[in-house]
Amino acid sequence: MPTSTRRGNGSVAEPVARSPIAPAGPTGTRGAWEVSSAHSKAALRLADMTALSKVLVRGAPGEVAPLLCEHLRARREDGSLIVGTGPDSWLVLAPTGRSDAVSEMIASRLRGCTSLVTVIDVTHGSVVLRLSGESARRALEKVCAIDLSDRATPNGSSFRSRVAAVVSTVVRDDVDGDPSYLIVSDRSSGQFLFDALADAGQEFGIGLTGYPEQEI
Amino acid sequence: MIRIPCPHCGPRNSDEFSYIGEEKRRPGPDTSPTEWRTYLYSKSNPAGWTTEQWFHAAGCGKFIVAERHTVTNEVRATRPKPRFERSNAGAEAGGGSS
Repeated sequence: MPTSTRRGNGSVAEPVARSPIAPAGPTGTRGAWEVSSAHSKAALRLADMTALSKVLVRGAPGEVAPLLCEHLRARREDGSLIVGTGPDSWLVLAPTGRSDAVSEMIASRLRGCTSLVTVIDVTHGSVVLRLSGESARRALEKVCAIDLSDRATPNGSSFRSRVAAVVSTVVRDDVDGDPSYLIVSDRSSGQFLFDALADAGQEFGIGLTGYPEQEI
Repeated sequence: MIRIPCPHCGPRNSDEFSYIGEEKRRPGPDTSPTEWRTYLYSKSNPAGWTTEQWFHAAGCGKFIVAERHTVTNEVRATRPKPRFERSNAGAEAGGGSS
């Protein structure tokens, strides 16, 4: 029986970390995480991506933004996604188990900054969902008041607003030309947000899918 | 509905913001009790243009200053709230965030 006990206690079985969202279908492990191994071929898919590594960066906009990413934008780099979540805050999403490496990489890059910079691993404090498919925009529009048109929210843009009344960071991150949104919110709201998005997507035939091979 | 153009995030519905109150300069430490009382409890509450603070709780998490018409709810200008703003400490000191 898998447990949530901290690693390094000898007899503790893997996995040691779980998403707050009940996994859809059968489960497997990815790194230290229990993840859903379901596979959906539906035109609209919702996946729990909480096992991703998440690193929060705070610092002075003038110094950090040129080195990471502009506010309201997202940028891919070395298998990670750097998101400008606020005028002075950034979120780095990377494959599972990479939070230490990413934190060190970001800290070393920002070492030359003269103002205070904070780099924090928030992997276990937030959830990440991915809503993808042709009708992803129409499903998300049902629960989010922001203009999601290509003109206002093109691929590579991000914003922070309410999704189903939950304060979330939304990143437009298309996969192979397929519209896709990453939605990041607090861990405690994860199950509610997942259920709300699954409900919003019902009329488009949403399928709940597992943690993908290509993580980010 | 009031639409507030956040200087960081763009136009947003006012339900993403918390209303803080009329924009005032915080008095210096040597201010008299009467002036402190005026600062804390007296509102001008005009039927017209007023300058007030809002907090973008469900967005960038920043305090902003907005000029709003209290009768029509039109918002004609917004700007980031300067970090430090005291009556005895340089009028427009501070950067773009609080």
